[in-house]
Amino acid sequence: MSATTTARPAMSVAARLRRRRWYQQPRWQRLFAMVVLALVMTQVTGAQGVRGDLFAALQDNFTGTGLWIWLAIFVGIWLVREFLGEPLGRYASLAGRQVTGPARRVGDLVRGNRLYRWGGLALLLAFLIVLPLMVSTFWQQVMVDQVGMYVMVALGLNVVIGWAGMLDLGFIAFFAIGAYSAAYWTGGLPVDPPFEVNNFLAIPLAMVTCLIAGVLLGAPTLRLRGDYLAIVTLGFHEIVYLLAKNWSEFTGGTRGAPGLDRFSVDLGFWSYKWELDPQPYYWLQLGLVVVVLALFLRLEHSRVGRAWTAIREDEVAAAATGVNTVRFKLLAFAIGASTSGIAGVAYASKQGFINPEQFVVLMSVLALSYVVFGGMGSIPGVLLGTAILVWLPERLRDTVDPQDRFMYLGGLLVIMMIYRPQGLWPSKRRQHELKMAETGTGGADALGAQPGGGQA
Amino acid sequence: MELCGDNRSGSLQGVFEVLNKTIVRLAIPIAASALVLSACGSDDDGGGGGDGQTYKIAYQGPISGQNVALGENMANGIQLAIDEANESGDYDFKLEYFPADDQGSETQATAAAQSAIDDPDVVAVIGPAFSGPTQVAAPLYGQAGLASVSSSATNPTLTDQGFGTFLQAVPNDNAQGAAMAEWLASQDGVSSVMVVDDKSPYGEGLAEVAVNGLEEAGLDVETASVPADTVDYSSAAHDVVSSGVDALIYAGYYEALAPFAIRLNEAGYDGIGVSGDGSNDAELIHLAGDAAEGWYLTCPCTDATQEEATQSFAERYQAAYDTPPGTYSAESYDVANMIIQQIDGLQGNVDRQSLYQALAGAEYEGLTKTFSFDESGAFAEQKIYMYQVDGGQIGYLGAVDELAAG
Amino acid sequence: MSVSDIWDVLVLGVVLGSLYAVIAIGYTLVYGVLQLLNFAHSEVFMSGGYGGVIALTLVEPVADPSGLQSFGYVILGICAGALLGGLVAFGLEKAAYLPLRRRNAPRLVFLITAIGASFFLYNLAGKLFGRYPMPMPTMYENRKLFEIFGTSVSVTQLIIVVTALVMLLLVDFVVNRTKLGSGIRAVAQDPEVASLMGVNIDRVVSRTFVLGGLMGGVAGFLFGTNLQVEYTMGFLPGITAFAAAVLGGIGNVRGAMLGGLTLGVVEAFTVELWGDAWRYVGAFAVLILVLMFRPTGILGERVGRTA
Repeated sequence: MSATTTARPAMSVAARLRRRRWYQQPRWQRLFAMVVLALVMTQVTGAQGVRGDLFAALQDNFTGTGLWIWLAIFVGIWLVREFLGEPLGRYASLAGRQVTGPARRVGDLVRGNRLYRWGGLALLLAFLIVLPLMVSTFWQQVMVDQVGMYVMVALGLNVVIGWAGMLDLGFIAFFAIGAYSAAYWTGGLPVDPPFEVNNFLAIPLAMVTCLIAGVLLGAPTLRLRGDYLAIVTLGFHEIVYLLAKNWSEFTGGTRGAPGLDRFSVDLGFWSYKWELDPQPYYWLQLGLVVVVLALFLRLEHSRVGRAWTAIREDEVAAAATGVNTVRFKLLAFAIGASTSGIAGVAYASKQGFINPEQFVVLMSVLALSYVVFGGMGSIPGVLLGTAILVWLPERLRDTVDPQDRFMYLGGLLVIMMIYRPQGLWPSKRRQHELKMAETGTGGADALGAQPGGGQA
Repeated sequence: MELCGDNRSGSLQGVFEVLNKTIVRLAIPIAASALVLSACGSDDDGGGGGDGQTYKIAYQGPISGQNVALGENMANGIQLAIDEANESGDYDFKLEYFPADDQGSETQATAAAQSAIDDPDVVAVIGPAFSGPTQVAAPLYGQAGLASVSSSATNPTLTDQGFGTFLQAVPNDNAQGAAMAEWLASQDGVSSVMVVDDKSPYGEGLAEVAVNGLEEAGLDVETASVPADTVDYSSAAHDVVSSGVDALIYAGYYEALAPFAIRLNEAGYDGIGVSGDGSNDAELIHLAGDAAEGWYLTCPCTDATQEEATQSFAERYQAAYDTPPGTYSAESYDVANMIIQQIDGLQGNVDRQSLYQALAGAEYEGLTKTFSFDESGAFAEQKIYMYQVDGGQIGYLGAVDELAAG
Repeated sequence: MSVSDIWDVLVLGVVLGSLYAVIAIGYTLVYGVLQLLNFAHSEVFMSGGYGGVIALTLVEPVADPSGLQSFGYVILGICAGALLGGLVAFGLEKAAYLPLRRRNAPRLVFLITAIGASFFLYNLAGKLFGRYPMPMPTMYENRKLFEIFGTSVSVTQLIIVVTALVMLLLVDFVVNRTKLGSGIRAVAQDPEVASLMGVNIDRVVSRTFVLGGLMGGVAGFLFGTNLQVEYTMGFLPGITAFAAAVLGGIGNVRGAMLGGLTLGVVEAFTVELWGDAWRYVGAFAVLILVLMFRPTGILGERVGRTA
């Protein structure tokens, strides 16, 4: 060994510094990464742990065939990438251009023409209206209790984070406040309200309550920067949750509030009551979402929406050009909170039973990831992202071990963020911001500088 | 259609279901027919033992999520009952297990319940396992006329709400809380008691009844709440010791009692410790070690590993799942067998409504207790038994009313 | 509340607080160099707990260990916790954050990645080791060791405080006195200039993660000794430690120590006065109050400037 090193011509200092051992070369490091990935995938798809035997699953996984299959797959990928990468890459980009070309033309056509655009929207709405008739009651329940509820919450959260760029990790707190207000005003809590109202009337009351809560939280904390705001909102959520749990005289405590009123309409000549059947709730939720959407779409391009964009992209500059940042941030907080409140009323009424465990901190974190997954700031993106991420665990129920669903969800989030950080259906502006960030010419959210030295 | 054998009506339903799903998935018709064929095939495979109907018994409870340990105990018990019934050859129908996972969460409960309701072969549901999800799911079962027999939802208010088809196959918290109070009051030298709950609906309910019972018996009572997810039991243990009480009731589950018992031991607590069925699990001893010694545990169940009648159940369970039966394993096994017996009793005229009627009026002698229900669907006999951790085992002491009297 | 009660509660608070402090270091170090809220740090912490359980299960502690044996077991547990914690943190950085840094992704994308990684990791741990709490194998006879001002201190409590203290001194030394430390501080202050000055940013970031992971892993082992090990054990301590890091001034190592201790003591007193159910209300109320008057935490931000 020493003979070969001495035989080599003497290297300069710089060359010696640059010199890498074989295992430090990117190619072999990539192989190493692939092997590690294969090991991880073996665990991911492997056996379930056994109570009382710590190593049972590990032992199974390392002696089973899964390990060799995954190793073969990942080493195969590595081989293809290292030795066949270039010709394949050329072919892929060619094929990609052929596919995306026509697709983009159709996209431009639809976007460019008013008639097509509204026609498309009408078709989509019609599809959404008849959707529950085509699926089983199980999926109707999922659509109402989980998708519908999270969609509404995500729309509200989108205002706060997607438009105004404030990182809110406690958004479900407002959802809880909405649900508990509905329970209070319909007489479902241990404390009687001054007057009992119908659930429809509870919506504005809950909105006002959430609005006040939003302002109360926002006013003292909105001057905090991104990350500080995140932990404060998270703390706020925890406090709301603990209040619901511990203030038994008012909220019913951990045993919750059973037998809540459901939605009902009584116009004298015509009355209707929403019962257990999920379908009518679906249409009710759809109606609420459409109303909220119509308002939000106007908001996005109004003076308020532009002010939010300015704040998101550069708060200091926005303030310098005369935007009252505190007022607009408070407004975003309040609007988001009251949207979440509407969702809370709808949820409480559908479930007929609420308790604090339905509003845990984890849900706020989930809601945030739904919004970013879909493409924050973009309404269709948020709707789509939420629908997919809520639907997926239910869908996976039949295909993978139900206990592993959230593992796959987490993995999906990571992969998505690595390969498509702008989300499923990003807004144009957001895409632009991200591109600017990539080249280092601007911030992409109001959270300050990028990690790892991307500051301009 | 010959492939499907004589099981025509059942597989036709299956076909419709498959078609329905296929439309949703917008798959091509070929896939649909392939699915139909495979559905028939599996029906045939399953129909080897008898040529009768296939009935599904659903279980709604946590099969994933935080509370999976308790949920698994029950799921295994039910599956064991179903497997044994199928293998016995005593019945001219086949049984199938249908899991409806609600993660122990109220939000998931409607969808879980609906998945059981949507399957026309499901004739009865065991569960929901927890009281919260029961509040949400029981009205749905009531509307569908599907009997839901819970072997573990112990909240006493559940049977007051007129859910329709809900049967509480377990004595409720009132019975257990009262039994704890009765037993402690009968012990010599106990004049002050601290009642600690875990801030769960189960724990709070149990604690409330126990406190009332103790106060009626004229004991000094102090209360505290320690959430089950607390990061440190030292503070709670410190409070218990510095209050100088003679006895402590912990209303909560074994996962939380174990670290609490360790801290209590460390803080020098030497009074009596009592806990309920949520802690009555062999895992308590594994987790707490020596600190669990001497704890009294009540349960509406007779211990599956203790009584002779249940010894062989424990062995079969161990053989099937590589783990000893845990809390509510035997009860779920019993409830599943009760349902199977009632299905058999209906002699082929099994539909959801008739099965519910049969169950509501049934009297079934199981391994753990005799099951029967009053008009509201509450458990008729409310007998509580006492255990004590002794030498690393949960030892059976006897029925509480007898112990307190004697 | 009598004086001796106050001492009792203070001791409990310091024990808990020193755990929070060690976890908070992990958050604050990573934040310093990346301005990233590493949500997945709670899972690094959890893996430390499992590391301890795995190592001690392999070794099978004898029934009645002598003092020296006990010491050996504890050291082994600490090392195993640190090892697994560091390993997970290293892998996390390479697999999830490095690709994002390469493309200069905005911070929110990092945050969501961290959330996703956290979900993935704790569910994977649950899958591999079972979704049940498990006790740390008995390493020593836990008993009352000595009294200070009438308050007894147990072996576990002493181990936690001493280990935490050593870890905190160690990290303070590394950050302030070593080459890696000056790299960390340089990257924290200005990554671009640091890079121009010949600091290998990738390497510094990776090692910062490992350093934070070591801390988190040790804390996980200590926490598991005090309570038990479970796949969901990271969530609440993680959030509290995160709050502690923010309270002290995120990015500031000494701030994290101070914040951790403060929150621990605040929690202990909240619990004593209003009961365990209100634990986090006290902690978060203090956090919100402090941030209202000092928006960047008690000691202010940044590794580079103050620590």
